[in-house]
Amino acid sequence: MKTDLRALAGWVVTAVLVGIVAVGLFMGDTRPQDRAASLGSAIKCPVCQGEAIIDSPSPTAQAMMDIVREKVAAGETDQQIYSYFQARFGEGILLDPPLAGKTLLVWILPLLVAAGGVRLILSRRRPSESAHGETS
Amino acid sequence: MTAFIGSLAILVAVGSSIALIAQGFRGMQQASRSTARHLKGPVVGIVGGSVVAMAALEFAILRDDFSIEYVANHSASSTPFIFKVASAWAALEGSILLWGLVLAVFIYTVYRGMRRTQGQDRLGSGALLVLGIVSLFFFGMMLTVSDPFRVCIDPGSVGCFGASNLPWAGSLAALEGRGPNPLLQNHILMAIHPPMLYIGYVGMVVPFSFAMSALMLGAKGTEWLKRTRTWTLIAWGFLTVGIVLGGLWSYEVLGWGGYWAWDPVENASFLPWLTATAFLHSSVVQDRRGMLQAWNFVLVIATFALTILGTFLTRSGVIASVHSFSQSAVGPVLLWFLMVVLVASFGLFAIRVNVVASSPRLDSLASREGAFLLNNLLLTVFAFVVLVGTLYPMFVEAFSDQQVGVGPPFFNRMAVPLAFGLLMAMGVGPVTPYRAARGSVVWERIRTPLRLALGAAALAVVLRYRSPLLLLGILTATFVGFVILRNLYHSARTVAQARKIALPAAALRTMRNDPGYWGGQISHFGVAVLALGITLSANLTVAAEVVLSPGESASVAGYDITYLNQFTREESNRSVIGAALEISRNGNVISQQEPRLNQYGVSGMTVPTPAVDEYLTGDLYLSLRTIDPESVTLEVWWFPFIWMVWVGGFLAGFAMLWSRLVHKPKRESKPAERVTTQ
Repeated sequence: MKTDLRALAGWVVTAVLVGIVAVGLFMGDTRPQDRAASLGSAIKCPVCQGEAIIDSPSPTAQAMMDIVREKVAAGETDQQIYSYFQARFGEGILLDPPLAGKTLLVWILPLLVAAGGVRLILSRRRPSESAHGETS
Repeated sequence: MTAFIGSLAILVAVGSSIALIAQGFRGMQQASRSTARHLKGPVVGIVGGSVVAMAALEFAILRDDFSIEYVANHSASSTPFIFKVASAWAALEGSILLWGLVLAVFIYTVYRGMRRTQGQDRLGSGALLVLGIVSLFFFGMMLTVSDPFRVCIDPGSVGCFGASNLPWAGSLAALEGRGPNPLLQNHILMAIHPPMLYIGYVGMVVPFSFAMSALMLGAKGTEWLKRTRTWTLIAWGFLTVGIVLGGLWSYEVLGWGGYWAWDPVENASFLPWLTATAFLHSSVVQDRRGMLQAWNFVLVIATFALTILGTFLTRSGVIASVHSFSQSAVGPVLLWFLMVVLVASFGLFAIRVNVVASSPRLDSLASREGAFLLNNLLLTVFAFVVLVGTLYPMFVEAFSDQQVGVGPPFFNRMAVPLAFGLLMAMGVGPVTPYRAARGSVVWERIRTPLRLALGAAALAVVLRYRSPLLLLGILTATFVGFVILRNLYHSARTVAQARKIALPAAALRTMRNDPGYWGGQISHFGVAVLALGITLSANLTVAAEVVLSPGESASVAGYDITYLNQFTREESNRSVIGAALEISRNGNVISQQEPRLNQYGVSGMTVPTPAVDEYLTGDLYLSLRTIDPESVTLEVWWFPFIWMVWVGGFLAGFAMLWSRLVHKPKRESKPAERVTTQ
């Protein structure tokens, strides 16, 4: 009886904690998002080696970052801002490869490998009928 | 004279490598008691040659011998001692020499291990044959395309413009050296990080050579795995520590406020780490259950090939531009070697796969084996993501002359779910029984840890932190940590009751009874701490740019930063300009910080050095952007609990020491102590 109560209490506690975490996840981050910063980390600094404009102290990157802030303040969408830089610097300016065109493969290849891996693992299961008979 | 001795030493190493190939081949064909004696000469030759060559290079650098091109172009008389020592491996030719030196040490340890078997060891002889081939390649490179002892024939007033491979070509000394790359002489870590990484990188050649030997001999079974386990663990541990040190260096030196940017050089070190980690786990499955025999060969070959790929990526200039790598001969040579390694080893594997493969033996996916398979799947996919993301832009540029960008947003989006999956497998796997696990058994072992982890996440919610990644990160990372602690507590309590000893002593005894398992668990605990550190520092960072006049203050994350004055300082190799800052909290001055800009004399390059004010709750990170007497522009970051990243990473890496150095207590252990480790 005592252990039953303890187990029940454990479940209640678990349920309450799951509830709190779920509510937290559901409500999401209430702090304002810095859109300029997240855009800035997805645009490559054209004069640096593989650095995003938000990370680079170079004047070019800083100037580009200023443009991003202006456009965010002007209410442009992410896609508009990306297109603006793409038109001027080419597709390679984005660090986040689009799910289309030349960079489609970057997204698809890992998924194919993952699917192949799952198939391989499932095919290596011992046939279930022999699983009962063998003891090794 | 130094150049001549160095070149001669490399020539000796090349000759000895050829002899090692011949003797290894002989020993593999027909092992006899004299095999070890025949192998001794070549092994001593390689070790002696590489040690003398490295010593000669250090000697030349320390004596400012600018008649050697490498010294003239990568060191300077004003370079501080420690960075002179480190510049012996800071540039291309020297780093290849370090590769060779580390390889020589590993060859020696393999040879030492063989002597115990009186030389009647065909597997070991075959491994030395493979090591001889790798050694011939690297020392051959040092004689031709990557010669550290080229003598200067066209000296400038600073540095050397033309050089000859022939040590007797009349050498002319440059007046002064160019000095190391400023970024590489800005922090002491640059002296430690590369050797650590190289020990990890090169160490992977040992399991590879034994695997190749086993394939050549058609040797079934786990002998090659068992014999190379120590090397694999050592190499893996050093690789882990090397990568963490690289992140720490990036954080302390580069001043952009991060430690990992998914750039190709970092990825190059991370790739073999991923496959080596997969191999560490899958080799346990082969050892315990006889599964995955063919797969282990694939992982070992992949790991070695990725270390060569990494050397190619970092040393060929291909990263700066795919078109620049052919300017030096090193890139194409390494690429060819990589092709040969891939074709030869996978070809050999294809021929022998029927001999070495194991039959399907997976009883149930809900088992320890199942968790290991999940771990291997996730790590392999992870490695593939990093590989594709790193190489894809290079391929596109090479074949279509257009650029595409694949950067941190891509890697993060792919890596985050994979990392969560790995953490879950890491939490549940080690407490899941082999063969077929009953749900109730596993639930019993993870119930309390799961509740505690939920409690930690709920606490974050109550404190108003609600970013989904933050909550999931806290949940999974603390879950892994709590499972390990519960497991240890449970086993230790049993031991304490049986032996009537105190709980801490019982815990130590438990961990000593199964060093392999507990070494792994310590490492997992380190990864959990690391994951928590990444989660907290990435999601709770506060960043601000502040402009201050002298005497003015700004507040970031509760710390008040006051700009006192500008200062300048002349040092032997650089001039320093910086801002003296006073940090206070709640009105009390708690520290003085000096973020700086260092201008290096010879190159004229300016390198910022951030000031990092470290506390238990986080780091106040101050990076100088611009400075003049009237005002200073600072980037300020607050990174909460970022020390967990370093501490967790080092713990994960050094945990291999536990599994190798700790021995079981003398007295026989009672069966009850091993309950949860079965």
